[in-house]
Order: sequence, then C-alpha cells, then structure tokens
Amino acid sequence: MTETAQIAKTAAPARPREKKRRNVFDSLIGRSALQILAVVGFFLLWEAAVRWGWLSAFLVGQPSGVLRNLIGSIANGSLFTDTGFTIFEAILGFAFGTVIGSVIGLALWYSIFVARLVEPFIAAINSVPKIALAPIIILWFGTGLLSKVALAISLTSIVALITAYQAAKDADKDLQALLFSMGASKQHIFKRVIAPSTLPAIIATFRINIGFALVGAVVGEFISSQHGLGHVIYVASSLYDLNTVWAGLFTLMLVGFLFYHLVEVTERWLLPWKQQQGGTQINV
Amino acid sequence: MSSPKVQLRLNGIRKSFPGKEAATQVLDGLTFDIHERDFVSIIGPSGCGKTTVFNIIAGLVDPDDGVMLYRGQEVESLRGRVGYMMQKDLLFPWRTVLDNVLLGLETKGIDPKRALDTAREYLSTFGLSGFENAYPKALSGGMRQRVALIRTLVLDPDILLLDEPFSALDYQTRLYLEGILMEAVETFHKTVILVTHDIDEAVALSKRVVVLSQRPARVKAVHDIALNEHSPIAARSDPRFSGYFHTLCAELDIQTRKSA
Repeated sequence: MTETAQIAKTAAPARPREKKRRNVFDSLIGRSALQILAVVGFFLLWEAAVRWGWLSAFLVGQPSGVLRNLIGSIANGSLFTDTGFTIFEAILGFAFGTVIGSVIGLALWYSIFVARLVEPFIAAINSVPKIALAPIIILWFGTGLLSKVALAISLTSIVALITAYQAAKDADKDLQALLFSMGASKQHIFKRVIAPSTLPAIIATFRINIGFALVGAVVGEFISSQHGLGHVIYVASSLYDLNTVWAGLFTLMLVGFLFYHLVEVTERWLLPWKQQQGGTQINV
Repeated sequence: MSSPKVQLRLNGIRKSFPGKEAATQVLDGLTFDIHERDFVSIIGPSGCGKTTVFNIIAGLVDPDDGVMLYRGQEVESLRGRVGYMMQKDLLFPWRTVLDNVLLGLETKGIDPKRALDTAREYLSTFGLSGFENAYPKALSGGMRQRVALIRTLVLDPDILLLDEPFSALDYQTRLYLEGILMEAVETFHKTVILVTHDIDEAVALSKRVVVLSQRPARVKAVHDIALNEHSPIAARSDPRFSGYFHTLCAELDIQTRKSA
C-alpha cells in the first residue's frame, strides 16, 4: 500500500490535484441520496403510469394503494402479527438448521471413514429440491408453526452441513501439524484450529441461510396456514388484491434486509481479526 | 576437547512415500547424532527429504525403519518436546500476538496465569511489548517470524527444529533475526537443528553441518565448523568462513553435476 502510494507520488508530481477529484456522490450521504432518489423515482413513475392509464392497477397494483394498505394493517396490528409469525418461523428454522448442520459438518472432521461413508448420501439429499418436500412436511408436522420451521430447517441445515464440513477439511494443515508437534490432542486441534478456522465459512452461510429460512417459512405458509406474510400474500393474490400482495412482499424484503445487516454486525463481532483497516479494493 | 554427549541419535532412518506407480524412497538409512547444546544445519539438494527428517523427529510422520535415541533411550518421536518452526510463520490469524505466544502453553496445560506472565515476559525480552493485542495481519514479515520464534522458545523445548525459518525474509531482516536466534540459543541453552538451503546461513550459525545426498537421502558428510564467533555478521567476516563456504558448495555442486 505505502509502496504504491510512493510510486503514485513520484510518478505524477506535476498534475494539479483537482484532476484526481473523486465523484461528488461517492460518499455515504451522496450514495444514500442517489439510492433514495432511485426508490422514490421508481414509485412515482409507477404511480403515474397507473394514474395515466399506461398500466393496469388490477394487474400491477398501485403504490398509493400499497401505502394505504400498509398503514391500515399497521393500525389494526395485523401487519405486526403476520410479520411476527413469519420472523419467528424463519428464526427458529435458521437457528436450528444452522446449528444442526454445522455441528454435523464439523463432527464429520473427526472421522475420515464416516465422512467418506456418508458423502454420497449428503450429495443425494442436497440434490433434492427441498421445496418438493413441503407437502410431506405439512403432512407430517401439521399446518402450524412446526411444519414451517421443519421446512426452513430442511433448507438451511444441508447448506450449513456442507459448508462446515468443507471448511473443516480445508483448514490449514500446517497449523494442525504445528499443534500436533507441540503434543496437542485431536480435541485440542479441533478447538484451536478447526473450529476457529471454519467460523468465517459458517458465518458466510448465515447470509445464505437467512434467505433460505424465509423461503421455508413463506412456502410453508403458502401451502397451508392461518397467519404469516406468506399467508397474506397467498390469500391476497388469489383475490387479485395486488396492493396487499405488494405490502406483504415489501415487508418481507424489509425483514430480509434487516436480517442481512444483523449478520454483518454478528460477523464483525465474532471475527475481529478479519476486519480491514481501510479499503482493500484497488482503485483502478 | 572431550567427546561431546549425544542428545539425539538417528539410526538407519528409512522412509518412502507411496507414489502413483512405485513408492518413492526418500530417506535411505539416515544416521547422525545431535550433541547436547549442538547447532546443526542440514543442507542438501532440494527435494532430498530434509523436511521429512523433521517431520519424523516431531512425530508427524512415522519412519518405515530405524530408531531414534534420545539421551540413550529409544523414543518413537519427540512430539511435545520439540519447537518446530517453519518457513511460514504459521501464526493463527484469529489470535492476537499474545494469544499466539500462549498457544503452546495452553496445549501443555500450563496454569493460565503463569502462562500469561511468561508470555508477556518473553514478548518484552524480544522487544514486542505493545504489540500483545495486535493481530498477525498488522505485523511485518520480520515481526511475525519473531513472534513465531517466541512462540517456539516460550515452550522451552528440548530441541528446536527450524525449517528454513528465515528464507522468506529479506536479507537485512534475516541477518537481524539470525542474531536474535543466536542470542536466544545462548541465553536459553538450546539445541538447534536447522534445515536450510542457504550455505552461507549454515556456515555462519552452525557448529556442525550435515550434508545430505540426493534422494533417497543418506548422510554424505558432516563438517565441523570452527569459527570463533557465531553472531551472523562476525561469523561472515571470519577468515575461515569462505573456506567452509566453498567446501560445502563443492559438496553440493558435485551432486548437481551427477543429477544432470
């Protein structure tokens, strides 16, 4: 870094500073302003297109209608109940799925024999589209909370399992050798090398699994449910109530977005040694 | 001088690794002694199995044949009693400097409070206090290797196994770390086995140099290096330095010609 900085200094001494000025919008405020502008512009355009008759409100809905719908469901509290249900299902599915998957994946590190034995089965299970299991899962676990959580677990656990196992296999052999030469036992090596070096990969699966857990919860709700955002969307779409569908979708989007940021905060907290000082992307 | 006491004896060590068609014989009856408080360098053509020797001593690889005697007693390996240091610093990226130094002490099950005191003491001896809470990423190559050296020494191992520990560093840093190593070896009365490609380094630091042949490796020659000084710079200015240097070069050159 310092070297490139020096080269840059010596290579272009005479150029006036102004020429290298950065994009005025390339700051947190600038970017946010552009992003907000894009969102507001999009909705205004949509609203205008519906009002001027270019698009049919029946088929695409209408932002003002979506907003009214959101305000209404906030006022009567149903938005919070439904969102709460979906979040609860997704979080349970995410937590259990990720923990179960990661634990099994890491445990496979202990025995190469067992790992090789079960590898084809894991591949087979992974290749089944888990959503196809939804009808059976509803049959087995009923139409309540349990079936949604089970569906979310079926989606998240396999991702966590494969990632954790792969990361454990890829853990630095030299670090393990070093500890072994110090006289460390297998448990020691697991605790001091395998577990910490797989942690970044496991946290990376959080990001994917948050999405999968929501998929599990919502699909479960589509099939059979009394509550939840999936239920709201499904019922509304069968009634051609596009505004309610959009209200549900935007709420889901917001939930996913918040979860994603929660993962980022968790990552920063759990992996302090991974934090960059300054940007690492080269400014080409 | 009375004959020195043997600390570690390798006798007829053989090792081959399974290959695609035939097994590759790497070590072919390797026999040599390491004395108490010795400093032995092992040099040889690349790929001759120098690292395998270390892996056998450290217990990472089992020999096919041969015995190891430690102070007269037959041992399987010196696992848990060696300080192994490699070309890569192998600092744990998720551990701070202090926690990296503590690694071996934790493994040994030493009382955490005492371990912490020892670790801090070593860090300050080697001029790294103030960096306890830094992650390895933030350190320069030389500093990282210094931390690795401390991590090795803090365990108080019977024998230090140094596998080209400085070969990834620039010359200046290398001389500096060689100096630190020699001081530490003096202070803590350590026995050292150093694998190196660098004849210059071997002559400057060692009391004896073991030359290995091409694979399958046997001990080709053992040279005593009688320099008055083993500090890296003083040794290199000793009038006998270049004599040893050329002898060893010739020894390796002959092998290169044979292989060609």
